[in-house]
Amino acid sequence: MKQAVCDGKSVESKSVQFRRWAGDNMSLIISVVVMVILIIGFQLVNPYFLQYQGIVSLVYAMSYFLIAACGLTFVIMMGSFDFSVVSVLKFSALICVTYIEQIGMWVVPVALLVSLLIGFINGIIFTKLKVPSFLVTLGISIVIDGVALYMSQGFLLMMNDEVFRSLSITFIGGLPSIFYWAIAVLIICTLITMITPFGRRILAIGGNPVAAAHSGINVSRTRVAVFMLCSFLAGLAGILYMAQWGGGSVAIGADMTLPLFASVVAGGTALSGGVGGPHRTILGVIIITWAQTGLMMMGFGQDIQVIVFGVIAITMSIVTTDRKRIKIIK
Amino acid sequence: MKNNVFRNVSSALVKWFKAYPVLLIFIVLFVGFSALFSDRFLTTLNIEAMLKQFVRLMLFAVGPSIVMTAGSLDLSFVGIWMLGGMLVWLLQPVVGPIAIIVYPILGILTGLMIGIIQAKARIPSFILTLSVMITYWGITALLSEGYARTIKGYEFLTAKLIPIIPTALLWAIPILAVAIFLMKRTVLGPYFYAIGVNEEGAHMAGIRVSRLKVLVFTLSGLFTGVSSIILFQHLGGSIPVELNLNEMNEPLVAIILGGTPLMGGTGGPQRTILGAITLTVLMRGLNVAMLPPIAIELLVGVMLIISIIVGSRSLNKAGTEVT
Repeated sequence: MKQAVCDGKSVESKSVQFRRWAGDNMSLIISVVVMVILIIGFQLVNPYFLQYQGIVSLVYAMSYFLIAACGLTFVIMMGSFDFSVVSVLKFSALICVTYIEQIGMWVVPVALLVSLLIGFINGIIFTKLKVPSFLVTLGISIVIDGVALYMSQGFLLMMNDEVFRSLSITFIGGLPSIFYWAIAVLIICTLITMITPFGRRILAIGGNPVAAAHSGINVSRTRVAVFMLCSFLAGLAGILYMAQWGGGSVAIGADMTLPLFASVVAGGTALSGGVGGPHRTILGVIIITWAQTGLMMMGFGQDIQVIVFGVIAITMSIVTTDRKRIKIIK
Repeated sequence: MKNNVFRNVSSALVKWFKAYPVLLIFIVLFVGFSALFSDRFLTTLNIEAMLKQFVRLMLFAVGPSIVMTAGSLDLSFVGIWMLGGMLVWLLQPVVGPIAIIVYPILGILTGLMIGIIQAKARIPSFILTLSVMITYWGITALLSEGYARTIKGYEFLTAKLIPIIPTALLWAIPILAVAIFLMKRTVLGPYFYAIGVNEEGAHMAGIRVSRLKVLVFTLSGLFTGVSSIILFQHLGGSIPVELNLNEMNEPLVAIILGGTPLMGGTGGPQRTILGAITLTVLMRGLNVAMLPPIAIELLVGVMLIISIIVGSRSLNKAGTEVT
């Protein structure tokens, strides 16, 4: 029997093999093609796009976004959704700017701990009370936004703490340090997905939570851990964002949810869960942030960007979802 | 004998409150606020404001609450309201007052599009409709060139007829009646419930699930479109260009508070009326209590979480896998 299968494979012609490979990796092909088209297109429109200054501004736009997107990727890989990423990012940034004068660099661990706590609350409500994750996180994000608004009273807050800001804007080897933070986070997240049991568990839960539970995985604990990881990364992104810009108000990241989500699905992490990972999300982040920068360079406003991201989000969700596997969709 | 009657009545009451737990909350809130702020809560001014807010919640929530009985979510209503208004503003100088017809047409087309994508491509409805809503907001901002636009010529829609009662409420009654009729007196209601309870089972029982899902989103779009005709005038006749997520959250809270669970299977527009009244009383009461607006906004989030937790109690028993 085994022999027969092997024979069948060896008989398969090159073109059939290629077609099968293309069918399996449709989303990867699409993201790479879109990325290449974007680079060439923007380079033709604006020759400064890939020069040193252009690259530095791209790095600034991409790095904190990539860190937050990595966190969201884990949650989506698990088949859940986290609306509160942007709120946590904003909240941890506001903690930094509000308390930097009182407690100095201690704001960093405080902000990270608060983020972890929010993730823990998300996870506990989701797993113990069995409330769909996107609604838990939607409710939590409204609450966090309210607290953030109360903290800042709606003002634009500025900071000028040299030590804190050096977290993001120290130039090493011609690139700002936030770039290395982002790369480190990306590598760690990719390793978590690829080689640790934790990563396998996340993918297993995304594939089929019931089967995962039957094969001995503690589904609830893993889910809580993933929500905490996601919020932790969002909080880290917020800290680095604040260090990068040195100021902000409650309005920061107000419209980041859609681009974040779009970048995760554009990379090829399906909403149905069980596939993808941070190594794919980097493609999506490149597509989204470069599209954003490129559209801005060509003089298109935020409205056009929103439309483009919406279309990307819907199209890529359709492309990536594995329709054979899922039976019921809510 | 007397004792027996008393017991019967009390057991009937307990049964009723178990079926409609929100009623208890409503009574407590209403009595509490009336007692605490007797000079401000039960004034004609406040009652009129409450009715206005109730109409706003109800008109937004009627379409999505039908969708929720079938176990899906429709968040696109804010998008239809904004984009439709902007299209009316653009078309009105060209085709005259008939331009208002854009609202229902846009609603039906949007619902049809969402339904077909959801049935064929099978992506979760909440993220699909959220993306549609945000995309519509982008198109609205693009068309309006960044300014809130005022539409003139439809003031007669909400012109004052009866003191205290807003005219929009009179318009809302037939819209609600049609929605409740569809859910209660036609075969659609049981079909939607069946899909909400067990989609696979409904399919095996011979219900055309995909087709009905397209229908439920189209119906929702139609109701949102028709409601928006009244709503935009009710909300001051102008179309904003800033997306306010509270416009989306508050009707959602009203639906869930009313007793339509997220996974569907029961409830509908008739239950949402209760939820909308309760939420209105809560928000107006806090307003009368002079709480800062930020705190009220915060409480909407807390209410959303609590109502979801209470509303999804049944899921714990059923062993449904929640993502």
